[in-house]
Amino acid sequence: MADEFVKGFAILTAGLLVWMMFASWFNTPSFFDVQLLGPNPEDPSEYASIGLLVKDAMLVFSLLGALTFWILIPAGRHAREYYAAN
Amino acid sequence: MSDNDSQQSEPATDGSGPGIVAPDDEVPSWRERKERTTGLSRLTYEYFERARREDQDLRQESSYVERDVLGFPAWPHETIRNLAISSFFIGMLLFLAATMPPTLEDAANPAVTPEIILPDWYLYWSFGLLKLGPINPELSILGGDKIMSDELYGVLANAVVFGAIAIVPFLNKGSARRPVEQPFWAAIGVGGVMFAFTTSVVAVQNLAPIDPNITFDLAFLLPLVAATITYAVLKTMREGYMYDLNRRYYRLRPPR
Repeated sequence: MADEFVKGFAILTAGLLVWMMFASWFNTPSFFDVQLLGPNPEDPSEYASIGLLVKDAMLVFSLLGALTFWILIPAGRHAREYYAAN
Repeated sequence: MSDNDSQQSEPATDGSGPGIVAPDDEVPSWRERKERTTGLSRLTYEYFERARREDQDLRQESSYVERDVLGFPAWPHETIRNLAISSFFIGMLLFLAATMPPTLEDAANPAVTPEIILPDWYLYWSFGLLKLGPINPELSILGGDKIMSDELYGVLANAVVFGAIAIVPFLNKGSARRPVEQPFWAAIGVGGVMFAFTTSVVAVQNLAPIDPNITFDLAFLLPLVAATITYAVLKTMREGYMYDLNRRYYRLRPPR
């Protein structure tokens, strides 16, 4: 159980750190304005569009990873134990 | 002559000899009497024994290796653990500092007063106490005047709070390890924390999206509500734990 926790935690922190990095590059117009959640740059360059794609992928990856290791896998194990007992 | 003989010559007082009262099924044996008089301790013993057994079963089920030690040594266990945790946070700091762009704006203009004047967040509660002007009473004996200015009133409110915090150790030794042991004082503590939070909201009432009057009323109402709920919950937990029966367990302290 503790192993599953740290796996989900590692995925969550690493993924959100990468997301935060790209969001600070492309979605932070000003320190005194909206941070990390600003609009995407209009007409991004080749590299910027790749970065935006990686940013979104990292957000989905971290959320799905945490969901998987913290909820889905333990729930599956509990369900398997339950149906094995009955 | 042996000791046995001398004992046999004396009158038997343990009920084994020729009884004065003829025993029948109604008379409890000494074993039964003892079990009856030690019912509570027997119950407590069985309770702890069952708890110990369940704990043992849980330990045997788990994959952890149990060692016969009271704690972990500072080297290497604690040190490596702490190194891992500090490396985690230092790594995060280095990563963010290296990758995130600096967002330094223009230097502050010392000739202009900033729009929002606030202390650091952990002093908001004290700043909020300075805004207690609405409850500074206007005394009719003074013709509707206030006995002191709102500013002095706020400063005195700070003194009252500090005084209350200073008095608490003299009223309660703080010997409780768990809130269930002393629900009243736990409720006092929760109410105090809640009051610090609500006065913090009063301090930033210009920024909070709530009517300042409502904020001001809630600043005194919410701590009472929180303290009441805490007291009720802890009292209920006491009953769930059968606190009176297991009082000794909940007051167990590790050896010094």
